[in-house]
Amino acid sequence: MTAAPQDAPAPPTPAPLSGRDAYRAELTRLAAEDPAVVCLEADLGGKGHPFQTAHPDRFFNLGIAEGAMVDMATGLAAAGYKPFVSTFAPFAALRAAESLKLTLGYLAAGVTVVAPYAGVSGAWFGTTHHCLEDLAVLRSIPGVTIAAPYGEAEMRAVVRAAVRSGKPHYIRTGRNAAYASLPWDGERDGAELPPVLWESRSADDDVCLVSVGEEGTRLALAARQALPGVSHAHLVYVDHEHLARSAAELGAHHRRFVVVEEHRAQGGAAEALALLLPSHEVTGVAADRSWPARGGDHEEVMASLGIDLPAVFGAVHRARTRDRALAAAV
Amino acid sequence: MSVLLDTPAATEPTGAETATGAETVAALAARAAEARRLVVDMAASPRGCHLGGSLSVLDILIAALHRASAGDGTEVVLSKGHAAAGLYAALYVSGILPENPAPLYGRADQPYTGHPGPKVPGVRFPTGSLGHGVPYAAGWALARRLGGHGGLGIAVAGDGELQEGLVWETVQVAAAQGLGNFVLVVDRNGGQNDGYVEDISPLPRLGERFEAFGFETVHTDGHDLGALTAILAGDRTAERRPLAVIADTVKGKGVPAVQGKAGCHYVTIDATRAAKWKRAIR
Repeated sequence: MTAAPQDAPAPPTPAPLSGRDAYRAELTRLAAEDPAVVCLEADLGGKGHPFQTAHPDRFFNLGIAEGAMVDMATGLAAAGYKPFVSTFAPFAALRAAESLKLTLGYLAAGVTVVAPYAGVSGAWFGTTHHCLEDLAVLRSIPGVTIAAPYGEAEMRAVVRAAVRSGKPHYIRTGRNAAYASLPWDGERDGAELPPVLWESRSADDDVCLVSVGEEGTRLALAARQALPGVSHAHLVYVDHEHLARSAAELGAHHRRFVVVEEHRAQGGAAEALALLLPSHEVTGVAADRSWPARGGDHEEVMASLGIDLPAVFGAVHRARTRDRALAAAV
Repeated sequence: MSVLLDTPAATEPTGAETATGAETVAALAARAAEARRLVVDMAASPRGCHLGGSLSVLDILIAALHRASAGDGTEVVLSKGHAAAGLYAALYVSGILPENPAPLYGRADQPYTGHPGPKVPGVRFPTGSLGHGVPYAAGWALARRLGGHGGLGIAVAGDGELQEGLVWETVQVAAAQGLGNFVLVVDRNGGQNDGYVEDISPLPRLGERFEAFGFETVHTDGHDLGALTAILAGDRTAERRPLAVIADTVKGKGVPAVQGKAGCHYVTIDATRAAKWKRAIR
């Protein structure tokens, strides 16, 4: 064995995969160990899908037929398979909503729906390709585990958990943004993600940012670095059951929260946390009630809806100001 | 729905399963008559039932369940779930449902709702929101093929139901995937909720449509149990073209008072009338 010279450069760290690429890679890897895993696409999986290359007999591009895809996955699950179906979020959560209600909810079938292009990550493609309503739809269906992972490692962990559990999952991701996940205890051991991942814990009496999804977390990270004293808690799972657990933990440490999410406020995580924490102060940075009808990149379309860094700063400032005003009044 | 391997019907085959030809058809016809009486009983419940479509589809269901009794993994999905009364009756007379559903139909704490769900023994999928049973059965067929197993995925749909886009999505997909073990039986009774299919959204050249998609197509009398059992008897494991069975039926079939009348779509009757109608069933 030859010792490496001490001054040898460290091997370059590979760039993280985007959420949807991380999904494809992890599912392909897991399918090698689990013959029950099958992969269904509705013509939006892209050419050269790694699952198709590695497991061609278990890969099905069913064409542009989202409802049929989800329902056929139900038939496959009833026969003992673990189907993962993927199409853009607006077509999964809205066009196939009835199928999701019956399959993921009523039947509690072991089907996982992976939905890229969530929020306005479709950006200049326009409103037809935006999805600011999926969390509201899915959160109202009992029994569905809903994940909005940030970064490659989280996506891989969520996909692993879905395969292991055999329970219905909806996994939301963006388009091509690639972020490095936040570290968490147990990551190396392949442990499941905690309900609340504390990226930063400051004084309990200051505002806590709560981030959901790729862009909500990106903004929260940027805001927290610019705002000393603010805490940042990241949530990967946003279904009712996970949010109830998260709320208990969040509420034990903080009284004021600013939730950042790329979704409409109605049916989003902030609204849910406000109901779960009635004695706390929860505000949100979320999409307004408008329809983005002009082009632009992802960040520009988000900004047109009111989801950007100035909006986060403003929300934190208002939370802090309200608290001081309240203290002065008392 | 499926014939469960641990049910008496599967482990202790009835005469119908062991007999052949005319004896089988006669046994199935007796089941169908018994089932029709049960459907009338459900129409006489406080809830009433989708009588016309339950009676039109009964022979198809009896034949399909008989096919499933071969125990090869064939799954039968009633996609026109509003014919739940017909399904419950067919499951019972086929030995899959262990209790008579008629006295329990529509009652609190009982699973026999107006559209069927998986709480009913022998039912795997919730149907009644039209169109979904077709892809459920296609997915089942895909799973059987993927696992290298025999058995069919049989969807039983209504002709009105074919107005749903989901049906044609699935037909497209099934043909593209070469699902020869997928069978779609159309209970063509000509009626739908608000009237006749022909008046609301007709389906011209239906057989040609399926053939254009790449299906094999068979036309039959949907009350001819001999023809239905023969059509559904095949293995089809090696087939690459799905099969569409266009079964012409009569709404309200078997009950002379309502047979062929569009108004029998949903019926609630009293016990006296039910008794009279049941006596007329042959």
